[in-house]
Amino acid sequence: MASITTEEESKLLIVLPGDQLPESGLMEDSSAAHRLTLGPGLAPMDDDSITAVKAGILKHNAVGNRWWVESNQRRYVAAQGESIIGVVTGKSAEHYKVDIGASQPALLGVLAFEGATKRNKPNHNIGDLLYCRVSMANKDMEAELECMNPTTGKADGFGELKGGFVIKISLGLARRLLDPKNLVLRLLGQHIPFEMAVGTNGKVWVNSASTQHTILICNAIRNSEYLNSGECSAMVKSLVEKM
Amino acid sequence: MSRLDRSRTSAHQLRPFFSSQNLLNRADGSAQFDFGGSSVMCSVVGPAEVKLRDEKLDKATIEVVVRPLVGLPGIKDKAREQAIRETLEPLILSGLHPRTSIQIVIQTMKDDGSILATAFNATILALLDAGIPLKSILGAVTCIVDSETNQILLDPTTQELANAKSTHTFVFDNKSSITSTDNKQQEDKESVDVATLYSDSTGLFSEEEYFECAQICYKAAQAIHGFIRTAVQKKLEKEQQQIDS
Repeated sequence: MASITTEEESKLLIVLPGDQLPESGLMEDSSAAHRLTLGPGLAPMDDDSITAVKAGILKHNAVGNRWWVESNQRRYVAAQGESIIGVVTGKSAEHYKVDIGASQPALLGVLAFEGATKRNKPNHNIGDLLYCRVSMANKDMEAELECMNPTTGKADGFGELKGGFVIKISLGLARRLLDPKNLVLRLLGQHIPFEMAVGTNGKVWVNSASTQHTILICNAIRNSEYLNSGECSAMVKSLVEKM
Repeated sequence: MSRLDRSRTSAHQLRPFFSSQNLLNRADGSAQFDFGGSSVMCSVVGPAEVKLRDEKLDKATIEVVVRPLVGLPGIKDKAREQAIRETLEPLILSGLHPRTSIQIVIQTMKDDGSILATAFNATILALLDAGIPLKSILGAVTCIVDSETNQILLDPTTQELANAKSTHTFVFDNKSSITSTDNKQQEDKESVDVATLYSDSTGLFSEEEYFECAQICYKAAQAIHGFIRTAVQKKLEKEQQQIDS
């Protein structure tokens, strides 16, 4: 098994499943009370070693000595606290069933909305699009959702998405779209006013003044995945000029 | 010693490999892997919803489907399905996704020998693309013992396979390099034994021939592990280039 050196010679430290993390590198800051937090893509193995289980870039955060693997995939696996976009596929007295693109539909309580009471609660129908937060995720159970901030009880932007258009992209691209410095969104914003919601489950909702603009934005986002900065500006420019 | 395959000069030379990931739009992961004139495409869907009949309470259900070059799947394809499934089941950390299904579909695109090895390599690339948690990666190589010269030929073509006295396919994981680097001088049978995930042999052969084949294939599998690493690295760098610049 190729052990990884923690030398900082390359910016991207690529790991593959089976690559062991060196124990010395994991505990480099002794002040952090020898605590280690493993994120997605890393797992302790039977022989007490810490091994990568996904292909991706090894990332480290000194705060809390966190280690994780930044990988890309297309299938969503629910994780607590993530904001996602789902489609209502079923409705019962206490729950909505929401398709979030994972292996099972998620449950959204009918009272998990801002200011909802037994007498007064929002009514959603099958096919409605909801922007919500994963309140509980567990590999053995269906994920649970909510449409409000749990600390304040306010909607905080969560809720039904009306109008617009939804596309499916890879989870890695969705995470990159959430970066405030994201290039393609900044470039598009210079030409077209639009609003959007990015779900970490790879679903992106886009709405603008006209259908043509919405389609253009969706295409630009999809095209941007494997382009560098120069190619990305050229792509957005040519799309806007063709309008 | 010249080979029937004129493009290669040495008996222990592999054909040029090629791979491409994320080719299919609707699958969760996909990859193509070529060994010269042999080409296999693999798609992975999962962790997805599982049929109630196949549901396992504590782990994911792994389903492998092998599609032949032409016609309907036969006995040979079913045997390959079983070989690939039984090799992958301990490799995939299926306990992380209980009550889901992971479906792997393997389609032969071009057949010029060593299809099983090509299929294994395509499958691991597709699983990496799909982000399925794995214990390690694998590398697969086929070799034959020539009936006339008794020479071991690596990565045989269809033409060379017709002359084979025995055919051997080996699959190795990438965990074993620890044993081989620790005692470089004595890369004995044991160090190969540790690493073997799958071995399939047909024909008549002696014990010495078998272990010699294993040793040669093990070395070749290291090249495939390296190639898989490069392929994944190139893909990740392409995804990250906007952030770096």
